Amino acid sequence: MGYKISVDTGGTFTDVVVSDAAGGLTIGKALTTPARIFDGMRDAIAAAAEQIGLSFPRLLADADFLIYGTTRATNAVVTKTVAKTAFLTTRGFPDTLVLKEGGKFRPHDFSQAYPEPYIPRRYVFEIDERVNAAGAVARPLDREQVRRTLATVRARGFEAVAVCFLWSVLNPAHEDAVAALIEEHLPGVPYSLSSRLIPIMREYRRASATAIDASLKPLMQRHLQELETDLKAAGYRGDIFVSTAAGGCNSIAALVERPIFTIGSGPAMAPVAGITYSRMEGLGENVIICDTGGTTFDVGVVRDGALTFNRDTWLGPRYTGDLLGIAAVDMRSIGAGGGSIAWLDDGGLMHVGPQSAGAVPGPACYGRGGAQPTVSDAAAVLGYFDPAYFLGGRMTLDVAAARAAMRGLAEALGLSIEVTAWRILTLAGDLMMRAVADVTINEGINPRDSTIVAGGGAAGMNIMLIAKELGCDHVVLPKTASALSAAGMQYADIVAEEVGSLYSLSDRFDFERVNALLERLEARVLAMRDTVPGQAGAVELEFYGEARYQAQVWELDTPFPDTRLASRRFAGQADLNAYVQNFHDLHERIFAVKDPGSAVETVSWKVRLVVKLDAPVTRKVAAAESATPPVASYRPCFFGDNEPVQTPIYKASDLSAGHAIAGPAVIEEPNTTLVVYPGMSALVSAAGHYRLNIH
Amino acid sequence: MASPTQASDFDPYMTAILANRVDGIIREMTNTLLRAARSGVINSARDFSCSICTGDNRLLASAEGLPIHIFGSHMQARTMTDNAGAGLREGDCYLHNDPYTGNSHAGDHTFLVPVFVDGEHLFTTVAKAHQADIGNSLPTTYMAGARDQYEEGALIFPAVKIQSGYEMVDDVVRMCRSRIRVPDQWYGDFLAGIGSARIGERRLKELCAKYGTATIKSFIEHWMHYAEQRMAAAIQALPAATLTNTGNHDPFGDLLPDGIPLKASLTIDPADGYIDVDLRDNVDNVPCGFNQSAACASASVMAGIFNSIRADVPRNSGSFSRIRIHIRQGSVCGGPVFPASCSLATTNVSDRMVNLVQAAFAQIGDGWGLAEGGIGMGAGCAVVSGRDPRLDGTPFVNQLFLTNSGGPASAVADGWVTYGLPVAAGLMYRDSVEIDELKHPIDVQYVRLITGTGGAGRFRGAPSMETGYVARCPRMEVIWPCDGTHFPPQGACGGHAGAQADHRLVRADGSVEALPNIVVLALDEGDRVEGWQTGGGGYGNPFERDPKRVLHDVLEGWETTERAREVYGVALTGAVDDETLAIDAAATAHLRRAAA
Repeated sequence: MGYKISVDTGGTFTDVVVSDAAGGLTIGKALTTPARIFDGMRDAIAAAAEQIGLSFPRLLADADFLIYGTTRATNAVVTKTVAKTAFLTTRGFPDTLVLKEGGKFRPHDFSQAYPEPYIPRRYVFEIDERVNAAGAVARPLDREQVRRTLATVRARGFEAVAVCFLWSVLNPAHEDAVAALIEEHLPGVPYSLSSRLIPIMREYRRASATAIDASLKPLMQRHLQELETDLKAAGYRGDIFVSTAAGGCNSIAALVERPIFTIGSGPAMAPVAGITYSRMEGLGENVIICDTGGTTFDVGVVRDGALTFNRDTWLGPRYTGDLLGIAAVDMRSIGAGGGSIAWLDDGGLMHVGPQSAGAVPGPACYGRGGAQPTVSDAAAVLGYFDPAYFLGGRMTLDVAAARAAMRGLAEALGLSIEVTAWRILTLAGDLMMRAVADVTINEGINPRDSTIVAGGGAAGMNIMLIAKELGCDHVVLPKTASALSAAGMQYADIVAEEVGSLYSLSDRFDFERVNALLERLEARVLAMRDTVPGQAGAVELEFYGEARYQAQVWELDTPFPDTRLASRRFAGQADLNAYVQNFHDLHERIFAVKDPGSAVETVSWKVRLVVKLDAPVTRKVAAAESATPPVASYRPCFFGDNEPVQTPIYKASDLSAGHAIAGPAVIEEPNTTLVVYPGMSALVSAAGHYRLNIH
Repeated sequence: MASPTQASDFDPYMTAILANRVDGIIREMTNTLLRAARSGVINSARDFSCSICTGDNRLLASAEGLPIHIFGSHMQARTMTDNAGAGLREGDCYLHNDPYTGNSHAGDHTFLVPVFVDGEHLFTTVAKAHQADIGNSLPTTYMAGARDQYEEGALIFPAVKIQSGYEMVDDVVRMCRSRIRVPDQWYGDFLAGIGSARIGERRLKELCAKYGTATIKSFIEHWMHYAEQRMAAAIQALPAATLTNTGNHDPFGDLLPDGIPLKASLTIDPADGYIDVDLRDNVDNVPCGFNQSAACASASVMAGIFNSIRADVPRNSGSFSRIRIHIRQGSVCGGPVFPASCSLATTNVSDRMVNLVQAAFAQIGDGWGLAEGGIGMGAGCAVVSGRDPRLDGTPFVNQLFLTNSGGPASAVADGWVTYGLPVAAGLMYRDSVEIDELKHPIDVQYVRLITGTGGAGRFRGAPSMETGYVARCPRMEVIWPCDGTHFPPQGACGGHAGAQADHRLVRADGSVEALPNIVVLALDEGDRVEGWQTGGGGYGNPFERDPKRVLHDVLEGWETTERAREVYGVALTGAVDDETLAIDAAATAHLRRAAA
């Protein structure tokens, strides 16, 4: 096997990870070039190639796999540069996209404008048709009216069409018929059908997902095909995969068909890295992934080795943004990172964020005009960063500016600048801790039973404090922490999912219909496997029901018993009982109560295909020759007191497997700085990762 | 000046950390209740609130709670401690829905769990959820016509023990199961409510274990003091003024032929940082379900004030102590005399009271206060019940949330489209049409916004919404208490009123009957009810609305070309369909000059 290249194009940086046959991982970084993504990708790959000692064309020619993660779709949605899209809806229900699902934050705030719908109301077309809750046609589709509507769509220059009719999940005939008419009258105009993309109940979720998907089709088709052309022109001959929000990757053709799955696909790869590293370190199947960037802190969990999914992912703020609706890897984001600004309100209470200094001007310590105290400034004041070696020497740190930015706050608090900085850092850590608690404790997961895998450029700053607060004993800061998503792609498998809606009550279970649906879903995902380029490895199928107690409305993803069997049906009552028992256990874990007397209703069924791809082998780094690593230098650092502690500084390049470092200490990696707090310690593992010991 | 000063040992950092923790605990309680509940009114519409009270019965925090629910849980906690006395024990849980001892209205079941730390009662966790049914004489939690609480007919729980030593008191469960419609649905909600309060208990104990009881106790005082200080500062930013505003709830048949006249007087004292609100000059208790409970009268006034000041003052007993509300025993506004019915206390008069108070602030001048928000729960918010033929005649009862009333305009923004009601202020969720058709034997015909129904203004009220649905069962009872059919929400500072509500019954044979505002109906299979709720009031003179906003309104179907010209003085050329619609600047200037 040759090289495997993964590329994560973020808003600012493009991260590349290259793995070699021996399991060596090399990180390359470059600025993202939105005008032509390939340029930034080339620079980042070239940066990695240089470290490996190859030319860019050589590396590309010797690579077999390339996995591409993109924020292209996300950016298009955020900047409102998606295609002009017509939305076809059932007559009588034109405002589904306007009304969303209701809800807002801050009930007493009347200063905000109500959000514009994802598709303007004047681009909405009501179609004469109706399917009822039993799946029967209550009003036949008026094909003549559809033809007239499509003529208008053509005349007004729409570039894509989204179709979402009520109850198409039960009976897609009308959406299918409209699809045929679009193919006939608007050949070449891309369209999305809700019943194919996301066959789940609740019309807003389907409508929003379908509208977003259709609106992305023209540009993502262009984008991915352009990229393929550029890569081929540069000499790449291997297979190209694109990472998806479903927690794996898939072919370009598959993503052109469902571009919505590229949204959030970068962060979705972080948990893949998380579980891989936890296993590599022998730390088990329950993982909390924390990714700290400049402006956001993203957190997700892996439970019993499985990624967790959520249909409640919003593009933009909850309630007022646009709901993705698809079952995406559950990564929650809060506005807290290195750039978060600390401030006091007029009642004297301290806050960190949600305002951020962003990338421009950035924290005061960047020396680019930032004047407000940020979390990064706090770390700079505390002495955690080497002014001359900040961000791997790419930037010089202006500690004086950081101190100046902190002075006003320190005076208001009546504390020294160093103690103020410590409080900023720990308050930010507390917000992050709370975000972790939201996805663990609130979901019935005890963080003490989990391993934290930390990533992101700012992770090393306070991950050990967060872990301490959560009571986590096992923390890993992987060698690739600064490019966690790109690293995750290295270990991603091909995943594809088919969902079918079939309302099934456990006390009047229709075994035949459920099994027939599972049969169809299984056949569909297996057909998808056949279209995957290159060699297809071992195949796994996973089976889930989206289930709830009768009369509840929020479902829990309930695994079948023995969900990972190659093929799964409900053979009889015993299978059903075991499935229902899984639901009771899940409900009790998450909500502290169960109701064994209640029937369980499943609203949709899901088959997930996993095609194993070759992952990089686990590298063993050279063992340390001596137990104590060389100290590169000493620096005064502050850990909450007014007086500094003379703290040993270690260079990553001086460390080997088996080296143990007792806090206080600072370890400088090229792209991140790890602070080992007093009383804590770090150990370099056999695979070269940092194992952090809190207690 | 009697401005409160910060306690000398106030710790801006530790207080922030602990406030963050308490907020997280309420979030977790909220999440549990939303996701585990059975009835649509809780799990789809989010008609519930969680809060935490102190051991000495002050409200500590009410993050994310509905405006009408924020006030009163401390009164319910006090009822619990008064009743239980020294018998209050760890492991207890109490059910409370008595409007005479602190609850909003009987339709809200409140779960109270006293939290003990080292034997000391330090907190009470509170989960309050509006029920689908409470065993009233009619299948609704809104008994508009009830002469008194007896005729309402609900089981009343003035802090009744439902768990002891963490075990269920099955007698109460059996009582409820024998009285409340669709008992399995009720029991699921009951479990969810207890689960929510218990999760809060567990987390508060962990918090005390981690930080020590002494730290937590001083945090409580600091947080109360902080909130009070923020409120005082907000009041100090207001001008000294006495504001009096009046309004009127709709008539109700022969019982209230003139409706209910309402009045509130606010005296703002910025020097000392207090607002006094006088509700005493209101009519006596009415012989039907519209009386406000003390909790709802207070909560609606608080909501109107919070709407008119800075939005981020914590809502607890600290900030509330700066608002002094004067209520007359015997008055419809918060002084019910037993057995007067408070069945509709959370909505009708309370919605009017929120409006009255926030619009009173607009009297200070342009830039202050708000217009009146859309009111009334009509067909789209009816409580429907019957037997579902698709499930072998299984009974169903639930409140729908298909439509909203439009939000009020402020001095800086148009009305919020999914506002709902003044007492909910956009916090509640909307039903999915598909979920509603799945859960109830109805066919929904349409759900849509109506062009040109938001109150015009420099900023526009949000429009009315309409719906119609057909019964698909032999007999479906449909009950709603819609305000705003006679007296629509008013604009402020020259803004216009929002549209009035209106409803009809269309029989299966096609005959049409106009419906009154307050409706108790039995539909036959194939009958349809339809109609719309009110639009929000506008703020400021419509002729001052930015023509670009008017253009956008017409493009997007919020307004018509005609209303743009006549109401807003904006002349447009071209057409929406071919995307040529544009402002005719000269004609607009002419129109607006002519009006000036």
